[in-house]
Amino acid sequence: MSRPAPPLAPDAGIRLDAAVVRLGGSVVLEAMTLHLTEARIGIVGRNGSGKSTLLRLMAGLIAPDTGRVRVDGIDPATDRKALLRRLGILFQNPDHQILFPTVEEELAFGLIQLGQGKAEALAAARQRLAQEGRAHWATAPVSTLSQGQRHWLCLISVLMMQPATILLDEPFAGLDLPTQARLARAFAALPQRLITISHDPAAVEAADRVIWIEAGRVVGDGPPGAVLPEFQAQMARWGAVDADTDLAG
Amino acid sequence: MLTLTSPVETPLHRLPAGVKLAALAGYTALLFALQAPGALALAGLPVLTLIAGGGRVFAAHAGRMLRPLWPFLLVVAVWHLATGAALEGLAIGLRLVIAVAAANLVTMTTRLSDMIAVIERLAAPLTPVLPPRRLALAIALAIRFVPVLSERVTQIAAAWRARSPRRAGWRVLAPAALAALDDAEQVAEALRARGGAG
Amino acid sequence: MERSLTHIALFTALIAALGLVPKIDLAAGVPITAQSLGVMLCGTVLGARRGALAVLLFLVLVAIGLPLLSGGRGGLGVFATPPVGFLIGFPVAAFVAGLVVERTTLAPLWAAMCGAVIGGIGVLYAFGIPGMAIMLDKSLTEASYLAMAYLPGDLIKVVLAGFVTQAIGAARPAALMSRA
Repeated sequence: MSRPAPPLAPDAGIRLDAAVVRLGGSVVLEAMTLHLTEARIGIVGRNGSGKSTLLRLMAGLIAPDTGRVRVDGIDPATDRKALLRRLGILFQNPDHQILFPTVEEELAFGLIQLGQGKAEALAAARQRLAQEGRAHWATAPVSTLSQGQRHWLCLISVLMMQPATILLDEPFAGLDLPTQARLARAFAALPQRLITISHDPAAVEAADRVIWIEAGRVVGDGPPGAVLPEFQAQMARWGAVDADTDLAG
Repeated sequence: MLTLTSPVETPLHRLPAGVKLAALAGYTALLFALQAPGALALAGLPVLTLIAGGGRVFAAHAGRMLRPLWPFLLVVAVWHLATGAALEGLAIGLRLVIAVAAANLVTMTTRLSDMIAVIERLAAPLTPVLPPRRLALAIALAIRFVPVLSERVTQIAAAWRARSPRRAGWRVLAPAALAALDDAEQVAEALRARGGAG
Repeated sequence: MERSLTHIALFTALIAALGLVPKIDLAAGVPITAQSLGVMLCGTVLGARRGALAVLLFLVLVAIGLPLLSGGRGGLGVFATPPVGFLIGFPVAAFVAGLVVERTTLAPLWAAMCGAVIGGIGVLYAFGIPGMAIMLDKSLTEASYLAMAYLPGDLIKVVLAGFVTQAIGAARPAALMSRA
């Protein structure tokens, strides 16, 4: 498969050095050290394993309590402006990501954030819609879009900011099979580095590298063929135990 | 989102929003200065003409928007007939109807985007505390989330009904407010992920 | 910054959404709109400043022509109707209600009820009654009689504002920004 290789500067990729995150007194991520440079990376774990916290940490939405996080050499929590060019996120629920009442405003927002004028950004949004064969969507209220169409809108609005890396948070959750297939095809064609976070091994089986997070630690790291069988076996063992009585916090 | 702007195009639609708003302010002040029912009726003629000039659909729309006034007109009528000051009552009623109709006329003939532009211009002196971009973002976010939260309120009411013989009523309020609070946290994160509120 | 902005905008949307819910009929047959209760909750939940701004933003949306007041009303016309004073008083009422919850150490139930009485009745009527007097050309005393029509519903809202604020504080203590 020929994908443009990510730039291989010494600080390229996402680097975590002993990053610790505590939330409300309890440790959610324990001294995590990772260096992510592959083009397709999967992060798997159960609900509450800390994988969403890891996503927030990489995206700079939270800062580590101790340790260090760098995205292509940038501190994601403090240098927000530079990070916008390096990293985008596709949130699990498009309703939490879409900020504007109409499609064109939503698409233009990212460009305005990068410093473009409003008229210029709106024109770029309409041009992009036309390229995608959806010119008639420009002034449509986002509330009239289907779930799959909203996912598409979120993806395009992230892509318009041209980040080098995109974080995907449970990208296929709650979508019907044709929509999943369409979205997966769109992802596969992207030149960006994709980091997919999911509880579902199927969502990451085509990745170059899979990292398994459990209780805030890395318990598996390697090619999907090496990590996923053991992950699935462990999930099946836990699933066979009837009780689910532990409370968080 | 549905707005109250009339889809029926009238010449007023083409006037700048700022001009219409200034005219409305002056006109309303005039209505409050007039006391005689005859003078008020005369002053109301231009508004009536403009509404009628918009055609049947437009006029019916304008009429519907006056409906919430009827309880007040009823109170005024009863009060003034009882106290024997019918002419005064007529003046009050006329002023009310004309003032509301004139204001509605501006709303019906001005696009939402033009109104937002006027608001941003009016708020310009506040720039040090409230950058226009942030105000525009707040307006857009609120409009965007009205259908989302309406849907949520409906779902909460349905979830209540599914397990209770009674209607949810005020009991939707706490879960609805919690939903809004949760959404606000998530949206803040999504906003931050795309460069923040500036 | 972002959190403040999104909380304000989301509560503005919440007030609007509550206006779309059909009127709540209490056992006594007094129909009350959940909307004005939403105004009180802006203050008691978000606190004085954010609460007042959320209500102010709501009024801006109504003024620019969105039919967000209960019953699908909106536009500039509603600011020329007799209850205009109540509309203008809404943000101040939310501010005062929020201030009471912020500045007292009462339990959320009582703090919110006190806030709703002082803000949602005291302050609100101080705006609403003169507004009604001007619009209907009545004396303040006469307008006060008319305003009494709103009192039973508003007293019920005071109690509900207390219970709802308490429920939110109990479910998610950190969510009660008025107490943060």
